[in-house]
Formats: sequence, C-alpha cells, structure tokens
Amino acid sequence: STNYNNNNGIAQQQQQQQEDPLNEQGTYAPVLNPTIPSGEQTVWADVSTLLQSARNDLQDGELICGENFNLFAAMSALEIMDPKMDSGIVSKYYSVDEAIEDGAAPIPLSLNKTVDVHCIIDVMDHLLCCEATWHKGHSLAQTIFSCIYLLRPDRTSSHPLLSSYCTVVRATCNAVVSVVSDTRTHEEEDLFTITSGLPLKKDGDEKCLSMLNVIEETVTRQLHACKSPSHKKRSIEDIEPLQTNLDLEEGYCKAVLCRLRFRKHFYHVLVCLRRAQGRGLDLARKHIASCLAELGNILKTEGFLKSNSKYGMCENTTEDITTASGCEPVGFDSTLNTRLSAPTPPRAIKLLCWKKAVKYFEKLLHDLDVVCSHPTDSSFEGVLRFVVEFQKLQPDLVARSHLQFLLVQDGKFYGRDPMFAVICRAAAVPEITKNHDIQKNESFVHLGQLAITLLKILCTNAAWQRRQLGKVLQDWRILHMQLELALRKEFEESSSTSIDEMYKHILIWIEEQTFWIAFRFLILGFELELYSPSEYCMVYWYIYIILIKLGEKMHQRMITSGETACLPGKRKGKKKKESTKDASKDPSFPPAVLLLQCHIYLAEGLTLMIAALRNEHGVFQCHGPFNTEQERFIQHFEHLQKACIPDHVSYYSFREYTDNAQFDVSMAKKPESETFERGIQTLVMCNYFKEAQRIAKELRSSFSNDTNKLAELRHLEQVAEHNGIALNLVSRLGSLDPSLK
Amino acid sequence: METTTATAASMIEESEIEYVSYGGEHHLPLIMRLVDEELSEPYSIFTYRYFVYLWPNLSFLAFHKGKCIGTVISKMGEHRNTYRGYIAMLVVLKPYRHKGIATELVTRSIKVMMESGCEEVTLEAEVTNKGALALYGRLGFIRAKRLFRYYLNGVDAFRLKLLFPHPQLPSAMSSVLESYEANETKKDHSLTQV
Repeated sequence: STNYNNNNGIAQQQQQQQEDPLNEQGTYAPVLNPTIPSGEQTVWADVSTLLQSARNDLQDGELICGENFNLFAAMSALEIMDPKMDSGIVSKYYSVDEAIEDGAAPIPLSLNKTVDVHCIIDVMDHLLCCEATWHKGHSLAQTIFSCIYLLRPDRTSSHPLLSSYCTVVRATCNAVVSVVSDTRTHEEEDLFTITSGLPLKKDGDEKCLSMLNVIEETVTRQLHACKSPSHKKRSIEDIEPLQTNLDLEEGYCKAVLCRLRFRKHFYHVLVCLRRAQGRGLDLARKHIASCLAELGNILKTEGFLKSNSKYGMCENTTEDITTASGCEPVGFDSTLNTRLSAPTPPRAIKLLCWKKAVKYFEKLLHDLDVVCSHPTDSSFEGVLRFVVEFQKLQPDLVARSHLQFLLVQDGKFYGRDPMFAVICRAAAVPEITKNHDIQKNESFVHLGQLAITLLKILCTNAAWQRRQLGKVLQDWRILHMQLELALRKEFEESSSTSIDEMYKHILIWIEEQTFWIAFRFLILGFELELYSPSEYCMVYWYIYIILIKLGEKMHQRMITSGETACLPGKRKGKKKKESTKDASKDPSFPPAVLLLQCHIYLAEGLTLMIAALRNEHGVFQCHGPFNTEQERFIQHFEHLQKACIPDHVSYYSFREYTDNAQFDVSMAKKPESETFERGIQTLVMCNYFKEAQRIAKELRSSFSNDTNKLAELRHLEQVAEHNGIALNLVSRLGSLDPSLK
Repeated sequence: METTTATAASMIEESEIEYVSYGGEHHLPLIMRLVDEELSEPYSIFTYRYFVYLWPNLSFLAFHKGKCIGTVISKMGEHRNTYRGYIAMLVVLKPYRHKGIATELVTRSIKVMMESGCEEVTLEAEVTNKGALALYGRLGFIRAKRLFRYYLNGVDAFRLKLLFPHPQLPSAMSSVLESYEANETKKDHSLTQV
C-alpha cells in the first residue's frame, strides 16, 4: 500500500549468505561508501529489489502473518523514515564525534576570553533549564545530556571553569538519581532514572567540591583585583583577569561567582539530606538559604548579561529563552541522544525557559526546607498530618523523594525507630505491656510493613497515591481480622491481661488508621477532579459515614489512652452516632474529635442540601442510557465496599438517607426512629451548617499554636457560612430562579 | 473556502447524517485520513487494521452527503477476568462538531459491546478534553482514575469507565419489578417474588 511507495531503504544484513534468498537470484550487491560504516562481522547490502518484489506480491489489505507477528504485535511497528516514529533518523549529526568534528562544542568556547566567559555563562544557564526540565519528568538523555561537553567529559579538562562546572552538575544529577532510585515507588521514576549509555559517573566526581572551591577562589580574587583602585594598571603581581574587557570584569566575575556558589550550596544540600536519620537537616537548611540567596544574585545578573549579548552566540529569537543573556548556548544538541531515549518516541521536548527554571529551583528549595523543618522526634500521627500538609504545596518528584527518604530508611521510622515501637506509641500501648517477643509475631511484622508502605504511599503524587490507598484498604482490614482472631486465641489460652490490653489498643489504632485512609482516599478524589457534580451527593454521604466511624475510633483511642477524663453515665449500649453528635455539647471531648465533628456536620449538611436540590429541583443528576446511579456508586466505592469499610453500607443505605431530603421541613414525614441505619427523615440542614460554624469558632482557642489547624478552621467556617446562606436562599424561594441555578 | 464549508455544515440536519458499520478495506483509508488529520499521534496502518479486522462490528463511520465526517474505533476482550470494551479512537471533523454525531457513534459502539456481553467499557481521555469528558459523562462513564503525565506532552489523563448493570444486581431486579408492577393486570405468576 501507499506506505511503502518511497522505500528505497537499505537494510543491514548479517553474513548468512547461505540462507540469503538474494543469493539465488544472484543479485547480491554490496553497497559502496555507505554513510554508516560496516562493522567487523557485518556488511551492507542493497535489498531494494527484494522489497520491491515482495511488495508487488502483496495485495491491498494483506499482511504477512507470522507466529510471533500477529496484528497486536504489528501495532508496535515503526515506519522507517517517519521522523515521528523513527528515532534513528539523522537530523544533523550522526554521532557526537561528528558534531565535535564540526565544531559544535569548541574548547575553549572562544579564543576571545570575553566571549569565552560569556558563552560559558550561557552554557551554565542552559544547563539549569535542562536540569529543571529533567526534574519535571523528562529523560536525562534529552535534557542534561544534550550538552556535548557532558557527553565527552574528558575534553573539558583543559578548561578549569567549564570542567569544574560540568563535574558538579554530573555529581549533582548522580546524587538526585540515587535518592529517587532508592525511594522508588512508581513508574513516575522510570523515565527519570534511566542512565544507560550516559556518562553520569566519572572518576574524580567526588572531588567536585574541591574543584569548585579552587575555581571559586580564583574568580573571587579576580573580582577583588578588578575592584581595587589600581586595577587598570597592570603589574606582575596582579593575577590574570577572568576576561579581557576591564570594564566588564566586575560584572562577569559576579555573574560567574553566584552561579558557582549556587552549585556548591545545592550539592551540599543534597549531601546533607542524604545523611542517615536526618542528622544533616539543620546544615541542609543553612545551605538552602545560601542557595536561595545565590539564585537571587543570579537573577540580578540578567541586565548586565543582556546588555552584553553581543559577546554570546546568536540571539535566541524564540519566546523561551534559556539563558539570562538571551543568547543561544553553544554546545547543545538534543537530537544526538534520540537512540538512547528509546522508550519514548523521538520528540523534541520543550525546555523550561530560564526564568521558569530559576523559579522551579526556588520552589524545590522551599519544599526541601519544609521537609527539613519538621522535627524528627515527631509521632506517627504527627508525620501523617505533616505529609498531608506538605502535599498541599504540590511538591515535585525530587522533593517528595527526599521526604520519603527521610521518613523511611531500612524499614525503620526515620531510619531509626523500629515500626513496632512507633505503633505502640501511636496506639498508646501502656509501657509495661510492650512485650518485645511479640513483635516477632508475623502479624505484627506485617503491621509494621503496612505502616511503612502507608508512609511511602503518602509521599507519591496524588494520582498514584489515591490508587494505592484504595488498594491497601483491604490489607488493613484483613490484618485487623487476623489480629482480632489472635486476640481471641490469646484470651482463651493465657490469662495475661497486659497482652490483651496491647492487642486492644492496637486493634483500635488499626481501625482508626483504616478509616483515615478511607477518608483520604475519598477527599483526594476532589483534588484529582474525579467526581462530577451528579456524584457529589453520594461522595459527601460516604465521607460523612466514614468520618463518623473515624471520630468513634479516634475518641475510643483517646479514652483508652487516658487522654480524656472518664465519661460517667455513658452506657455501653448507647448508639455510637449519637454519642459523637452530642460531642459538641460535652466539654470533655478532645479538640481533635470536635474538629472531626465539625467536618461531619459539614459533610452531612452538604449531602442533604444536594439531595434536596435533586429531589425538589431535579439538578445534580445524570440519566444515561446505559446504566444507573447504582453502577456509578459501585464503581466509585468499589475498594471501600470490598473491604467492608464501613460494614453494612450499600447503595440502598445512601438512597434511604437521601430520598426524602427536602427544603420545606413542614412537609417532611414524621421520623419513625432516629437510628443511623434508617437514616434521617426530618431535615434540619440549616443546623448542620450553623453547628459546624459554631464548633469551628470555638476551636480557635484550642489550636491557637497551630497555624495549619487555624487555617483549616477558617476554611471550615467559610464553607459552612457560604452554604448556610445558599441554603437559606434556596429554601425560601419556591422554585429556582434561572439566574440562581 | 472554510467559511463556505462552515455555513454549509451549520445547516446540516441530523437526518442527513448516515451511520454505517465498518464494511471493509474500502473504509480503511477514510478512517485513516480522518484520524491522521485530527489527532496528533501518528498511527501506523497496522494499528487501524488490528482494530477493524478483529472487531469490525464495533467500528462505525458517519457520512454526510457521501463524505466521511466521523468515526469511532473500538475493541473488546477479556481483561483480568472481566469482559470489557475499549474505545480506541473517536473523531468528528471540526465543522461537524456539537451536533451529537460523536455521541451517536459512541452509543452505537457501546450498544454492540453491551449486546456482546461486555461488563464494562473503558477509555482514556486528556484531563483537558472537556468535550470528551462531558460526552462520556452524559453516557454514564465515571472518572475512575487519574493517570499522571500519561501523554507525551506531559498532560494527565482520566481513565473513564462505564459499568453495565449486572444481571444479578438488585438494580436490574428493581427495574424488572417496576415493569412487573406496571403490568399488574397481566398477573404473571411465573415471576418469583422477592
């Protein structure tokens, strides 16, 4: 068919002439002067005639079918010579060596020292853009290693400034690849960590800091020299200036210095963060501050470099300038590595522009600073809250990898505390019962692993995180069941009440974590825009029932750990839902539980308000031809339902709860019973929003030291207030004014 | 030239669109031309052949006055113990959009999947493709997952899934019951009470 029309392709053949069909025709014609040289065991042969006859033999729509080549396999076929598919297509140079021979990466960059320095600064800036682009999810081959100087590291040894810069860039990238590989959890890292065929490690790279120090000192002296009043007079004691134009010496020295210093401090940051058990965090913060200062200095050099752009290569006419001076950098060619970036089709990737690259590093440094600022003696719960807060900054892969590296090392919390001890502390297991033998029990080992996995999952990107959280729900549930059985066995076999106590504490803790995971799973759906408006009602409803359970377990844990005073008069038989509902009026409820109660009121109010809007005005609905709301319910809550989180909950529970929601309370049916299972028939939605607002206000004093919690409370108040107003409006209007809809 | 086409296109009646099931090799170049024009990824001819050879009954073309202006290409098969359909490509020429042609094409394909025993249908769509998301949303698809940087240009994708009512599920039963109640007068005693 048409795709083979202009195929005069030359195909390489192995020396298997005995089996070569061409031989029989006697038309084996060796190719003279091929552009790609023959190898030792191979020779080029022109098979155009063979392909021609084969093509004539095939009719339109016919396909050669082989055992290992079916239609599915055929989809992976690449069309040779299609630049979108064929990464072997040569665009300018066949090889790095050819590029070098052609003068694409001269050393020095120019014999004119001013031009040389200016061009090196352009190289430094462009490399920063490459690095930021790599961090954002592209391959090393197409970013950092589009730099010919880095592809042939030995060439730069005669040029100290370029050489030391290249060395520190290599060492930095190596350090980053190392930490991301170590904390590997997901395909996001796949493209990032591919280093095959690339000269990422070179002997002597570990000395990069001393190399940098030498060159930094030299340039510092050059800067001092040019600032001294007698600098225009040459004397034998004067050191050689950085470049030959004395008026520009100060500007160029400063421009070079801040770039070198940024590299130095950034490498230090990575080294400090790598230190075990978070020992380097304080020092890392100091270097982070220096990095940010140097980035500021780098930005300040823009004006000077732009005004001297005539010393650079040609001007970059595109919008995305990758250098401060606006010039094109010398020595880069992203097409040289297309064959090395094999998994991805050959596409020119768009590099981040210089300003954006600087911004990226500023953000990365701020995120790393947050990672360093969390105390390493934090509790498990504290860490969970911290990671959730941290994720609100939308940190990129490098920052998240460093967080995970800090939190989990060698299967231990902060690389230091065994998980069993951490969990016992979190579950408030009484000291005496911390039996060291029992931690070798298979179930407890498994529990430790689940907790570690949870921490790792929480450090991944939101999309991946949600999927994993959904999957682990079942693991937590099953473990709870196993431990429950074990407790029962323990109870029957021995009379050790201390072991029973421990089991009980841990079982409650497991349940609390399970509901917390379920809540996080549901909430992330909003962040990821997975819910459409017609699904809000069921989502808020499910959040509501999960939060009630979470509140129960949290409160239970706090009571059994003695965090709250004993509550007299609370009979065991009393309905759990009511006990949390009365929480707001009982002064002995801890603030954390009250905060949860606030969320519960909001979720409840939103569920019923949306339900009433659906029932009375027909909005927020979706009537597709192929399925019903029940199927969508089953799909969204599949993981939760499979793991029975919570038990005895189904689409019918949701329908029962919401079918009678309406705005006009007087028209509501009289409730027969106010048990949770039957759902609410009468509606006092307004009160839910009011209650939420009230609790949020009252809790301000309890969380006066916690800026994150205060922000959360403000947000809750706002949401409650706005919805309360909306609710008032809607219930007073008989029908929805089209402008309000 | 383009304005004329646009004006002409805006005056199209729904009845003027002809929907045809994939009929053979003669349809292949029409499909390829459409998809190559509208979608950014290059597909080799083998990709098209894989779909239309193995599942010709799932692919449909839309014609207007003899011109092919839209197509849907799908497949179905066993995937981790579920029999599921997959919508691979959906294209409608720009001047013919917003007339429900894409919805009609997709609906036809999904109907065949349903009749063939599929339990669910799935596809991926860019998170920025508001049109596709709205179209599939109206048909009952949910956004089951978000796929980080799924596309080469770094854009995320949603995995969209449509779950057909399971014959054993109460929802199917309740609709059976509803029709039973509606036809009370027929007094069909063969239906068991639930």
